[in-house]
Parts: sequence; C-alpha cells; structure tokens
Amino acid sequence: MPTLGLPLMLAGFIVVRLGLQFPFPIERGLVFPLALVPSLWALWNMLWLGTHGRTHLGIGLHGALLPLLLMPSGAVLATCLGILAIGADGVTWFRSVYFPYVLIAPAFACALAGYYLLWKYVVGFVNRVLGIA
Amino acid sequence: MKQGSEIRDQGLESTEQLLRKALEPVGERETERDLWPAMRQRMEAQPSAPPWFDWALACGVAVFALAFPASIPVFFYYL
Repeated sequence: MPTLGLPLMLAGFIVVRLGLQFPFPIERGLVFPLALVPSLWALWNMLWLGTHGRTHLGIGLHGALLPLLLMPSGAVLATCLGILAIGADGVTWFRSVYFPYVLIAPAFACALAGYYLLWKYVVGFVNRVLGIA
Repeated sequence: MKQGSEIRDQGLESTEQLLRKALEPVGERETERDLWPAMRQRMEAQPSAPPWFDWALACGVAVFALAFPASIPVFFYYL
C-alpha cells in the first residue's frame, strides 16, 4: 500500500509545495512517511512471514505492534527536522497543528486500531493475492 | 599486429561460445503452467465478513478523526 500511495503523495507534494508555493518546508515531513515507513512495512511483513508459523500471531495484531516502533522513531526524527515542537502542555506539528498531551494516549490507541485494520485487510489481502501468505 | 588481433578474435569467440552454453535463451523458456488464472482466482475470492469488533474499531478511529481533525495530518505522517 505505501508503494501504491507513493506516486500520489509525490504528486500532491509537487502541487502544494512547488505549484501553490506553500511556505512550510513539507519535504522535511515527507522523509519519514516516504523513505522510512514503506521500508519498515516491508521488513515488518517479512518478519511476520518468517515467524507466524511459530508464533501463530495474526497479521492484524502483528501490524498493530508496528506503531510501538514507528511512533517514537517518527517523533524523534520530526523533532530533529524541526517539524515537531515540544511544549509545556502539548506538541505542535508542522508549526500549525497543536496537539495537547491529554490527546496523545487516545491518538496512539487510534493508531494501533488503524494499523490493526490496515494490516488485517490490506496487507493480508495483498499477501494472499501474491500467494505469499 | 594482425596475428595479435586474430588471437584476440579467437578468444572472444570462445568466450561467446562459453556464455551461450552457460546461459539458456530466455525467450524459448516458458512457465510450466499459466499463473494468471490462479492469481485471478485469489483476487476474486470473497473474503469473510469483518467481525463486529473490527467495525467498532473502524468507527472509533473515524469518530476520533472527525472530533479532532488536527490529528489527520499526524496520522498520515505515520502511514
């Protein structure tokens, strides 16, 4: 799925940043979702294919574990690149999206749920079609 | 000079023959069976209906995104 979405995201970036001259350097925010997340999804899928015979863990639950790695690493990278500012009461993403700390726990739960569904239905479907699961 | 080029030509010919022996022509090989029908069968297979738990999770995620739209770009950052 990330591979399919990559051209669309790239086209969106070119339109917004180069076409509409959007002032915020969104290319910094694209490093993580375009360069690292697809590779991590692929490695995570390979890990599932290699281990589910022994662990009997469903692909949805396996995928739901990925945000435990992605969230901290993505936040650290975003802080280093200047797209995440940590404040006293919350964090500010992309210099415009304020996120209070009280919302981080429910947002994380939603991320786990979203990843569970994506891996169960999208990655599982692609694996079945390709005949690798 | 001419003798040297003949030797080089002979060397090239023998290398070419060795390569031809080592590598089978790609175009003449075919798969033992057509893979597309099996692929299409897997694509058209009807998946089982999602359980109520998955619907509840999807609704929860949708409600959170609607209640806090600022979270949507952050979610996209992690996809």
